[in-house]
Amino acid sequence: MFYTFDNCCLIMIVPHLSARHMSSGLIKSSLMLSRIPIVTRALNSFEKEYFNYQAELEKRLMRTFPQYYYFKKGTLAERKFLDIQNGVTSKQPNVWYPKGIPDVKHGRDRRFRQDIVIPREEANENDEKNLSRPIKVNERITEADKTNNMSSLNRKLSHTLYLIVKEKDQWKFPSFDLESQPLHTAAEKGLVDLGGNKIRVWTVSNTPAAVIKYCRGELVTPTYESTDELIERHYIIKSHIVAGSFQPMNTEYKWVTNDEAASFFDVSYFQQVRHLLANY
Amino acid sequence: MFKSYGSALPQSLSRGLVGATKQTPTPFIQFVRGKRTKKYDLSPAAQKLITQLSVLSASRKQPKMLKLCPEDIVKHNTVQEAYKLITRKRKKAENEKLKQQYESMKLACEDLAKVSPELFEAANKREISKRFSLELRVPTNYPPNVPWYYDYTPESPEDKK
Repeated sequence: MFYTFDNCCLIMIVPHLSARHMSSGLIKSSLMLSRIPIVTRALNSFEKEYFNYQAELEKRLMRTFPQYYYFKKGTLAERKFLDIQNGVTSKQPNVWYPKGIPDVKHGRDRRFRQDIVIPREEANENDEKNLSRPIKVNERITEADKTNNMSSLNRKLSHTLYLIVKEKDQWKFPSFDLESQPLHTAAEKGLVDLGGNKIRVWTVSNTPAAVIKYCRGELVTPTYESTDELIERHYIIKSHIVAGSFQPMNTEYKWVTNDEAASFFDVSYFQQVRHLLANY
Repeated sequence: MFKSYGSALPQSLSRGLVGATKQTPTPFIQFVRGKRTKKYDLSPAAQKLITQLSVLSASRKQPKMLKLCPEDIVKHNTVQEAYKLITRKRKKAENEKLKQQYESMKLACEDLAKVSPELFEAANKREISKRFSLELRVPTNYPPNVPWYYDYTPESPEDKK
């Protein structure tokens, strides 16, 4: 029998070898559990200023608000609207305008940005029944950020958080034995066994994202090959935590961003997984 | 400002029925100070259409063109180029990362195929109608009142009955 798959070579089954591998525990499923950002990416100072500049340009070059369409002539609404607007200086004959002669059309000086004061009802921001109440935004920096609580999922809302556990005094992604199950099922089951079932997870794919090889306990490159069967392979499965939390009995765990992971992982391990981590 | 005498005639009563036709201006005009009047009146439908067209068009609504001095032009162009540069760098880095992820996936699959064809087949099985989970929220500018839902309990098989 032969298998083919996209852009890869033809390979042949070797049944006896696979059975040996499955039972001797040389293959493990590693789980890269991530919490996606809850809040948009924080902008750097240049981006903020640039976006502000573009917004101001757009406002200056924006068409005049067609007030005659939204507030019909002679209505009370029009009167209320005009009352709260800042007046525009109109062009009168025999008047000296130190700031330049105004060019007013449809109640807007064409030389400047139009500033409309939107008529708003007076409403208390705490009155939940009133839909016209002013919007009170929540802070992007949470309590967990201030206390730097690394086991909290409320931390670093604009970053992706990854679950790392301490195995044999080394921080890494959790890995689980396959109990004659496919990689992704083993990862999900292993997670529930380790961290309780009060966790809802969505697996990205059944296909592994990377392979981490260990030869006699030492980390080796993914392309390492040897004739002896002492290579332990960890296939990384990506998934996202959607709700709930990871509550293990005895294992130390942390939810870290990609930069923090660099400080927890071994250098060699980090070099092998860094391309899988999000940019921010 | 000028009120047409013609509107006092019985002709005005049939204005709505006449349709979207312009009334000809009458020769007798009464001057009324401060009152806004037109020389002719249109049907409400015609007036509505004209207002809508006026709203959509840019006539009399375009602000004055921005005139930049040579220094301002240079500044503006520099800022635009700087933004394009950082965007280009960021996209290039992201693309590079995607390539690395693809290569890593390919290597892992090739390795898996050599080691265990059953696992390989299970890993490459097409997941029919697999979609992103609806519970994966799109990031917003500010967090919700409850940023993370901790109180998840899986539904037990008895509940489903």
